[in-house]
Amino acid sequence: MAVNLKRTSAEDSEGGRTSRRRMLGWLTGAGLAGSAGLSAVSNFVFIKPRATYGQPQRFSVGKPEDFPSGTRAILAPRGICIVREGSKLAAISITCTHLGCTVGAADTGFACPCHGSRFDQDGNVTGGPAPRPLPWFQVTLAPNGEIEVDKDIEIAPGSYLTI
Amino acid sequence: MSLSTPPKASFLASLKAFPSTIWKSIFRNPLPSNDLERSATSFTNFFLHIHPVKVHKNSLRPLYTFGLGLISFFLFVILIVTGILLMFYYVPATSQAYDRMLDLRGSVAFGTLLRNMHRWGAHGMVAIVFLHLCRVFLTGSYKKPREFNWVVGVILFLLTLFMSFTGYLLPWDQLAFWAITVGTAIAGYAPVVGKDIQFLLMGGTSVGQEALLRFYVLHVAVLPAVLTLMIAIHFWRIRKDGGLSRPEDADPVISLEAMPTVKASVLEPKKTYGLQGLVRGPLTKVGEIPDNTVFSWPNLFLAELFTFVVTLSAILVVSLLFNAPLEEPVNALHPPNPAKAPWYFLGLQEMVSYSAFWGGIGVPTIFVLLLLGAPYLDRGPGGVGKWFSRDRLLANTIFITFVVANIIFVIIGTFFRGANWAFVTPW
Repeated sequence: MAVNLKRTSAEDSEGGRTSRRRMLGWLTGAGLAGSAGLSAVSNFVFIKPRATYGQPQRFSVGKPEDFPSGTRAILAPRGICIVREGSKLAAISITCTHLGCTVGAADTGFACPCHGSRFDQDGNVTGGPAPRPLPWFQVTLAPNGEIEVDKDIEIAPGSYLTI
Repeated sequence: MSLSTPPKASFLASLKAFPSTIWKSIFRNPLPSNDLERSATSFTNFFLHIHPVKVHKNSLRPLYTFGLGLISFFLFVILIVTGILLMFYYVPATSQAYDRMLDLRGSVAFGTLLRNMHRWGAHGMVAIVFLHLCRVFLTGSYKKPREFNWVVGVILFLLTLFMSFTGYLLPWDQLAFWAITVGTAIAGYAPVVGKDIQFLLMGGTSVGQEALLRFYVLHVAVLPAVLTLMIAIHFWRIRKDGGLSRPEDADPVISLEAMPTVKASVLEPKKTYGLQGLVRGPLTKVGEIPDNTVFSWPNLFLAELFTFVVTLSAILVVSLLFNAPLEEPVNALHPPNPAKAPWYFLGLQEMVSYSAFWGGIGVPTIFVLLLLGAPYLDRGPGGVGKWFSRDRLLANTIFITFVVANIIFVIIGTFFRGANWAFVTPW
């Protein structure tokens, strides 16, 4: 029953040198493993979309007159809240920094319905698991007189656009 | 030219034998009536050939396994069948998915029943797979030589959860949308690759059409294929690892000392002895050792059939009594308050409400690594095959602590959390 399937070492190495057979075996193995790795990587490249179909990150929200002083207007489809105090205007994100739920307006600022994070009027965390305050986005006045918000650019909380 | 020509059968006789000829061409063996034919069932039937010819009596003890592994598998089969049927009417498009859910309710024959069976079957599978995992742990069945099959089992448990998670989005209702928004955001907290995983899962920066299509493909093609492969490996290894675990004393020990033999000093050196000259008493022990195995036909097969009928009946009864929930269609602007995940993820959600990283990534990863590593860390041979063995007090205590902690978190998340995830009392 005892069948020795091992090749003798003489076949594998000739005088300490690697034999041609073993060398070819190594090359075949490395080639197959490399190809498998490459195809795995290209699968990831394939499923990572190059173009996304979401909303533009930069958009206009209307004229300054649409937001009279004291306004706290939640623009839910855009994911922002426009705040105006006198001549100062800002856009605060309403996407919870915890896990991405949409926060709602509360008496003291914002509150998240998913995991109970709470924020004050300026988006600072006052309770719950949120790790960061709500970001403020850059607001500019476009040449045609409309307010333009760029969600790609975060600015320091408390920096307003003066109109 | 054949030497003997068979007697020519009359046409009528052939006609009369026609049905049985076909029957016998499909089933080569008659229903077994003796042990030889009983053992042939496992060899000659495609659907039975996965089974051993004989099975240990311990494996058939209902109170040892509770049939949990089998129930998991049968639930998987029910989910495959109902899932394929539901696919005939489902469209993975944000504009249509919810309407198709309403169609299933209103205009598809048995649509409600099939959706109920699929939903409750999925809940049942998560629960039963987890209980199966508990059974295997608490009986010490992950120990040598079953270490790797335990690892396969843990992977199957994770795949089951991922199946459930991907299926959750498909109805495209409020519950689905916000559970997946939160779930993918948790993935985003994973170190280094988190944001990339989140982006790959959603196919964009938010849950939308791309995410729905991706979850659909994962749910109906990728994950079932992987799950089927892993189940095949799991079953194959049960056989190769020697069947289900059992206590050491379940098998008789053949002691060599007990065999009466002849002392070497009385033997004559020049003489050739046959085996019978060296061993006194009956030559062979066959028939003397108590045999603790029974034929799979009918013992194991009847037990399996019984388990299947009970499983299917339970799912049918639950599906006839309770309708699967369907909330309002997705409103990406207003999360329901409170927004809750399915019950088996509520422990996770409760932990996430303390810390997104530790609750969603840290603690679950530690738990899974401990589970995967259990057979390689806990290598003591004692306590295999017995529920709550004294030998395994430490391992079982640690395991039960984790399980009870998770159950407490699930209960808090289910009953004690109200609007804005504030603590409320249910009474």
